[in-house]
Amino acid sequence: MREVLEQLTQEFAGRIAAAPSYPDQLYAAIAIADIPAIAAALRSRHSARLAAVFAEDRVRPEAAFYNYYVFERRGNPCYLILRARIPAEDPRFPSLAPALPSVNWQEREIHDWFGIQAEGHPNPRRVALHDNWPDVHPLRKDFPLHTALPAFEGDQHVYRPTLGEGVFQIPVGPVHAGIIEPGHFNFAVAGEPILYLQLRMFYTHKGTEKLFEQLPAQKGVFLAESVSGDSAFSHATAFCQAVEKASGMDVPSRAGFMRTVLLELERIDNHIADVGAIAMDVGFVIANAHAGRLREMALAINEELTGSRLLRGMACLGGVRRDWSASQIAALRDAIATLEREFRDLVALLKSSDSTRDRLERTGFLHPEKASALGIVGVGGRASGIDLDVRRDHPYAAYRHLSWRVPVYQEGDVLRRMQVRIDEVFESVAMLRAALGDLPGGPHRAPDLVIEPGRCALSAVEGWRGEILYWVRTGPANRIERCKIKDPSMNNWPGLVEAVQGNIIADFPVINKSFNLSYSGTDR
Amino acid sequence: MTGTLLKVVAQLVLLLMLAPLVSGLIKTLKARLQMRRGPGLLQPYSDIYKLLRKGMVIPNTASWLFSATPYVVFLATLLAGLMAPMVAADTPIGLFGGVLAVVYLLGLGRFFVALSGLDAGSPFGGLGSSREMTVSALAEPTLMLAVFTVAIGAGSTSLAEIARVAINQQWRFLAPSQVLAFAALFLVLIAETGRIPVDNPATHLELTMIHEAMILEYSGPYLALIEWAASIKQLVLMTLMINVFWPFGLSTAWSLSGVWAGLGWLALKLLILSCTVVLVETANAKMRLFRVPELMAVAFTLGALALISTFLF
Repeated sequence: MREVLEQLTQEFAGRIAAAPSYPDQLYAAIAIADIPAIAAALRSRHSARLAAVFAEDRVRPEAAFYNYYVFERRGNPCYLILRARIPAEDPRFPSLAPALPSVNWQEREIHDWFGIQAEGHPNPRRVALHDNWPDVHPLRKDFPLHTALPAFEGDQHVYRPTLGEGVFQIPVGPVHAGIIEPGHFNFAVAGEPILYLQLRMFYTHKGTEKLFEQLPAQKGVFLAESVSGDSAFSHATAFCQAVEKASGMDVPSRAGFMRTVLLELERIDNHIADVGAIAMDVGFVIANAHAGRLREMALAINEELTGSRLLRGMACLGGVRRDWSASQIAALRDAIATLEREFRDLVALLKSSDSTRDRLERTGFLHPEKASALGIVGVGGRASGIDLDVRRDHPYAAYRHLSWRVPVYQEGDVLRRMQVRIDEVFESVAMLRAALGDLPGGPHRAPDLVIEPGRCALSAVEGWRGEILYWVRTGPANRIERCKIKDPSMNNWPGLVEAVQGNIIADFPVINKSFNLSYSGTDR
Repeated sequence: MTGTLLKVVAQLVLLLMLAPLVSGLIKTLKARLQMRRGPGLLQPYSDIYKLLRKGMVIPNTASWLFSATPYVVFLATLLAGLMAPMVAADTPIGLFGGVLAVVYLLGLGRFFVALSGLDAGSPFGGLGSSREMTVSALAEPTLMLAVFTVAIGAGSTSLAEIARVAINQQWRFLAPSQVLAFAALFLVLIAETGRIPVDNPATHLELTMIHEAMILEYSGPYLALIEWAASIKQLVLMTLMINVFWPFGLSTAWSLSGVWAGLGWLALKLLILSCTVVLVETANAKMRLFRVPELMAVAFTLGALALISTFLF
């Protein structure tokens, strides 16, 4: 990325200034007006990917907001983070969404939360704050956390109309049958086939990023655990890594290996549950029953290792909270051996069912080109030819000591999204074995450090859904000044919209399940 | 006269009491195959009892159809049940051409449920009704073909007569026409009772439902009646299949000892048929909705072949 930045500096002579950086995160200051040109140059000439866009309120100290643009490039472990000043008296920035659909929601979120206008955005309506919010911008520093807003009747959200003979609308949610988070799906259907789907998220928006700003960094770990309950350890690890990097804390190598083990365990239990749930949604109940049993085994070993079935309470700054005894490690080894054997049986059962394959193949096809334009990450991306894996591209914890195959398919249907999960379970089991074999001795946690204020750092973790990004700025008294969270679901929801088009509405649940996105992680 | 009344009452009690048990049996067997304990055998009774005591929510958009449907379905299904030979070949009543009346009484119930699915005004109801009609457009003629096959063999459409003929030719069900008709009827049974691979009775996903989507707006006693009627319909269809094709243990007339033997045989045969249904449900995934008409077309073809082969062999 360093040479990319050098070339850019020459191209945009005098308008890009390097800023304090880390070996794996280059920061550079740019003028906000240049961002469309720079982003276009980075994307076309340097084949870089815009991983995230977010804003920060620096009005009190610097009379300005800042927008951050995180770029990464395949085969290069370094992130390039462009930082653009936006004067507080004229809060607006040129939108990238016309050229880059993947930032659609992210830019609108910046508008809703900070009141910075995304100029030229093709659909500049509210997204993160619904229409029943008055004109406030809660992530600004001058908006107190415990503000009680008066009741406000906003406009009804307008959906694209559904017109035509025999074409009608099916509104589903936000309250669903079963234990599902809230989200509104508005289908336009012609009989059974879906013409288009309109999504409405952010029903569970709870100001999580703002909450981080009130907490000491050590307590932020617990908040990060609850951003998306099924990815507790991944989110907490991403947060810890960001704070550790910002404060220059060294994580002992044993802790790195233990984090790797826990991250892979989280992947295994969630992937097994998803494979079962996909089978369930096509009515192949017996496979789901098996998957439920296997997941239970995985959760039991989670509990044995951490005291929590969902791996909560284990992450902490500087390492992990508890060390493992030899007997716990032996139990883990036994458990993964059984798990692998029985999972193989489950896969054989699924493969032997023609009726299941018939339902999954060519269902919910997400075209690789669309996936790439929408910036789809994680499982959904890898099933549609997007070869991204943070563990390989930006190694963290102990991943640089391990090797594995990243499953990538081009077909982009439900079957392949399930296949990616199946492949990853086997890869994860092999990685667990290797990590346990090389588990170094020594401490499992670095001593607590006083966190220096005013330092920023980005951290990325490949959660089981995909790329989780955290960006923090440290504040005085061990506190967090700003914490940006990007869950993989944020980018992937629009991918679901594309994937369901042309399918029949009865297949929507299984397509949705094959992505299995987090509402809470998106809404924050 | 009193004899007829007694038979009617006996068969009514049998239909009302046995139907939830068959549903419970199928649910329990399915759960066991999935290594679950599952709800108890008697759970459907508790469900009906619970629903009967509950209040109801009726959509403001609903018309009189919505309130009439539960009664129509319940009564039509019961009446159909009274025309089927359950424990003795002699049916309590045999009106309007016997088996034809059974088919169309069941059809009447379905017609009303589909209408009230539309009437409630929820988009899921409309989806369910349109799907139900797509499936039954082929299921109903198939049922007719299978019925004609049997009726031609017996020389009568009266179910009592059909059963009597069957008792005299116990091994007749091995004849090609009967085997084909049985297979067609089995597929109809799967479709009409909303089972995998046609419909998934256990799903909570409104978008995939057929039968459940139509009755999504029902609650309380109305829901109890509709669900009870659905289980009675299942029992009637199963009874028809087992007593017309496997008449073992069926006595020709009602007598005390004959009824007890008939009951025992009925239970045994229901158990066997339930196991088959459960195995089919467990071993298969639900079909893609647009493939269901193909399955029904297969059933229809089987029915047509059955009818043709009655004249060949």
